[in-house]
Amino acid sequence: MNFLIKILANKLFALLLLIGVGVWLLVIPAFTGSLGANPLEKLLHQSGEIAIWTLGAVLALSPLRVLLPRTRIVNAVNRHRRAIGVSACVYGLLHFGLHVLYEGGLDGLARSLSKPFIWFGIAGLSILVALALTSNNWSIRALGGKNWKLLHRLAYAAAALLIYHQSIAGKGHWHIARWLLFPLLTLQVARITKILLTRSARAGRMMSGFGVIATPP
Amino acid sequence: MEREKPRSNCAHRSWVLADSVVTPEAYYLRRREFLRVFGLGLAASALLPPTIRAEPAALNDSLNPAFKLDGVKLTTEDLVTSYNNFYEWGLAKDEPKDQANRGWKTRPWSIEIGGLCAGPRKIDVDEFIELLGPIERRNYRHRCVEAWSMVIPWDGFPLAKLVDLAQPKPEAKYIKFTSFFDPGNCPAQRSNGFPWPYTEGLTLPEAMNELAFVAVGLYGKPLRNQNGAPIRLVVPWKYGFKSTKSLVKIDFVAEQPRTLWNQLAPNEYGFYANVNPNVDHPRWSQRSERVIGAGFFSGKQPTLMFNGYEKQVAHLYASMDLRKNF
Repeated sequence: MNFLIKILANKLFALLLLIGVGVWLLVIPAFTGSLGANPLEKLLHQSGEIAIWTLGAVLALSPLRVLLPRTRIVNAVNRHRRAIGVSACVYGLLHFGLHVLYEGGLDGLARSLSKPFIWFGIAGLSILVALALTSNNWSIRALGGKNWKLLHRLAYAAAALLIYHQSIAGKGHWHIARWLLFPLLTLQVARITKILLTRSARAGRMMSGFGVIATPP
Repeated sequence: MEREKPRSNCAHRSWVLADSVVTPEAYYLRRREFLRVFGLGLAASALLPPTIRAEPAALNDSLNPAFKLDGVKLTTEDLVTSYNNFYEWGLAKDEPKDQANRGWKTRPWSIEIGGLCAGPRKIDVDEFIELLGPIERRNYRHRCVEAWSMVIPWDGFPLAKLVDLAQPKPEAKYIKFTSFFDPGNCPAQRSNGFPWPYTEGLTLPEAMNELAFVAVGLYGKPLRNQNGAPIRLVVPWKYGFKSTKSLVKIDFVAEQPRTLWNQLAPNEYGFYANVNPNVDHPRWSQRSERVIGAGFFSGKQPTLMFNGYEKQVAHLYASMDLRKNF
């Protein structure tokens, strides 16, 4: 168990895993010719899916930290929030590049802009880029912890935009988003419920404490 | 189902063989002939491209010169049989090739012609193919509503032949095409929430058009399961989803039939579904298409009105607002 936690907490391990997903699902299939009949489309879809699942993973971490505080596994994985978040952005940018290639260059990209799902994708990705660019200690100091945290809450907006982007992008593709959206929402609801419960419990204790002194005459 | 293994009475002795696995004497005596024939075949097959090896028996057909499609490159057989939208056998395009070939039997298969016609019948598909006469080959453009395209050499016969055989009554205005419903063997039909079976429809004049085709094969071989075996519709001027696969029922009806995709999303998949670069799908452009088999850097090619069959079919929609009747 200790060994497992150590590995999970290892930065190099996390990095290898995050790059490995891309190597496994994009690079190796491309070089072994196992991308099927429409290889570029396959790369396009795979890269987008890696991006959205990676984003989902990082968004699952905050509620897990609240729901399972002081759990060693959660703490270990939490060390990699920055790496996971930045890789979501990198895979998203790769996905965007493949889209441009799929549409046949910048003219094709311009034509594709007439469609709402492309705008949702671009909006979501823009947020991810802004967050990735400010994912360093210097930015946290420059912005101040509070502002930085507020800015990085935009990740939720990005997730909403991108899940919508993904589910309207094809014919009958809504089924994938379902597997991401509902677990994330459940985690958030559980997190918020727990925060409210602890708050009202604390407030309750404080109220009863005050009660003795503040009884009206 | 697991294949039955030859059984022996003395399981522990590896040299004991059941009678059933012993080569019959007649075959044993002809083994050199077998080697000669098989060896020749093997040598010949080495010269052919890999996709053509070890395939089902060829259909006896000949190319109809009117549908040669000069100057257009055919999509390779390997691609046509491995990139399929056949939601009964998986939502991803590489799934049907695998899922539809795990014991789904497309022979024997019977097909029913019914509704408002003088000659209703329920008939075995092979007898039916025999009845409809010689099979011809046509090279058709195929344009999916998802903005990709192929060029496919189909083998089959004009749909008009089938209509003539059925003798529709004057009140018949549409044909409804129904695909198989077999939730026992097809897990998707048990679970994925689509209004199965797959249904589609054409107007009678559309069905009588010379282009409307019933395919029983492609590349000169019987249809593979993933392509809609044993018999399917091919309507090349409409988006691919109109071309119902694995037909079990063809009904002549008075009212426009409800169709599966139209039921699921009426604002996205119209009844007519003619290929039209000027009317976009609400969520994506129909102006251009990706050609399956083209390279990484090929981009897309412009989509043609009625998929390039304007001359043959435009008159069917002369008085119609194609934006409304998409």
